[in-house]
Amino acid sequence: MAMHLLSEHFRNDHGFLKIDARVKIVFALMLLAMVLSYKGFFFPFFVLLCAIACCLHIKIPLRAFLLRFAEPLFIVAVLLVIKLFFTGSEVLFSFNLGSIQVAGYADGLKEGLLIACRILGAVSILTLLGFSTPFTELIAALAWLRFPKGFIEVLMFAYRYIFMLFEDAMVIYNSQKNRLGYASVKQGLSSFGTLAGSLTLKAFENSQSTALAMTQRGYDGNMPMLKHKPFNLPEVVISAFLICIMGALWRI
Amino acid sequence: MHISEGILPLNWALVWSLIAIPFVAWGLYELKKLSAEDPAFKPLVGLITAVVFIISCMPIPVPTAGTCSHPCGTGIAGILVGPAISILIAAAALLIQALFLAHGGLSTWGADIVSMGVMGSFAGFLTFKALRTIRVNIAVSAFMAGLFADWATYLTTSVELASGLKGDSEFMPLFWKIAIAFVPTQLPLGILEGAMTAGMVTLLYRKRPDLLVKMRVLKPEEVGI
Repeated sequence: MAMHLLSEHFRNDHGFLKIDARVKIVFALMLLAMVLSYKGFFFPFFVLLCAIACCLHIKIPLRAFLLRFAEPLFIVAVLLVIKLFFTGSEVLFSFNLGSIQVAGYADGLKEGLLIACRILGAVSILTLLGFSTPFTELIAALAWLRFPKGFIEVLMFAYRYIFMLFEDAMVIYNSQKNRLGYASVKQGLSSFGTLAGSLTLKAFENSQSTALAMTQRGYDGNMPMLKHKPFNLPEVVISAFLICIMGALWRI
Repeated sequence: MHISEGILPLNWALVWSLIAIPFVAWGLYELKKLSAEDPAFKPLVGLITAVVFIISCMPIPVPTAGTCSHPCGTGIAGILVGPAISILIAAAALLIQALFLAHGGLSTWGADIVSMGVMGSFAGFLTFKALRTIRVNIAVSAFMAGLFADWATYLTTSVELASGLKGDSEFMPLFWKIAIAFVPTQLPLGILEGAMTAGMVTLLYRKRPDLLVKMRVLKPEEVGI
């Protein structure tokens, strides 16, 4: 289940955890902008290799890393087919499918591969950021980036309850499965609807008790945020230096 | 259907983010207003965000495509809390998914908010309201709301992909190709999402009709309160 792949499950005592989340997020956003605006294969591919090396260094299981690419790769495959067969003018190959002649275009394929490289490079940045930063620190960094307070609070509530509701969901799901609740498509849909409805009911019930408990502890509608430490100068300087190197590679 | 990180070029990523901002701001305004009236509202929004996140992580097999896909969950959120808060819920769930599951992305966050949050929530909310106004059965209304929320999301995603990837070619031919390419997953998935939404609303109607009245989904006379 996807929940086991959440970054919180892979928190180890690695060096990346000690880096200020604000530095990491700004670094990631700048790198992302470079990958998205690059017009060739080299830079995104280089970023992908660097991210794989970093993920292996912090001992992320390869299966977890590859699963993050499953959905993007499905979209990449569809886009490659569309670009290869429907975009371009320079015929690479052709064949007959019944009475229809199908042609693949070299320029379409190149365009598709460029997009594929861009996706893999960009996803690898996000994957590394997620694996190397605890959620609370990332949220504090978003608050520092002036994300609205109400939005940050919703994120914090949501993240707190994802794990709690997920446990409930797994209990219901396993009971349904043991009673053959997913034996057919029709039964599966009915069971899934019941599961989702039960979670919604729990959400309504818990919101009342949570609000009461929080009010008793002094909650006045505003949640306190993590206080930011001063920036660590060596971290900022090293990150700026790395961005300059990446910028130089981006210009190649 | 999330648009993955890196698919959209920078300029289009910015355009969709700018379109998303006023809708998220509207959601935040409504959140502030409603949580001033009821202190339990903010935790409730957080909890529904968690529910939407979990639902959209549940893999559902799509027989025609031979793959697993997942529902959006914004249709049901649109029905329960209205489109403004539902957009905010979608934005929060999408950000957590992007950062910790690599579903969607930071650069495509705006585009995903517009397709899943704005279009999904409005399609779900308006379909449910319209069908209930003409007194269509609650389960059928919820089914249609889930169905149209999913298909609206999918069509908007196709528009976003086509506009971002067209390059020098024309928009409409590429739009149709993308829309047709995703038909094998998205058409059955819409039906699955409709069934799931109907199941959820029916369960709430049977077990806690008072909650549906409190959330202004139904009128008191419709549940006999």
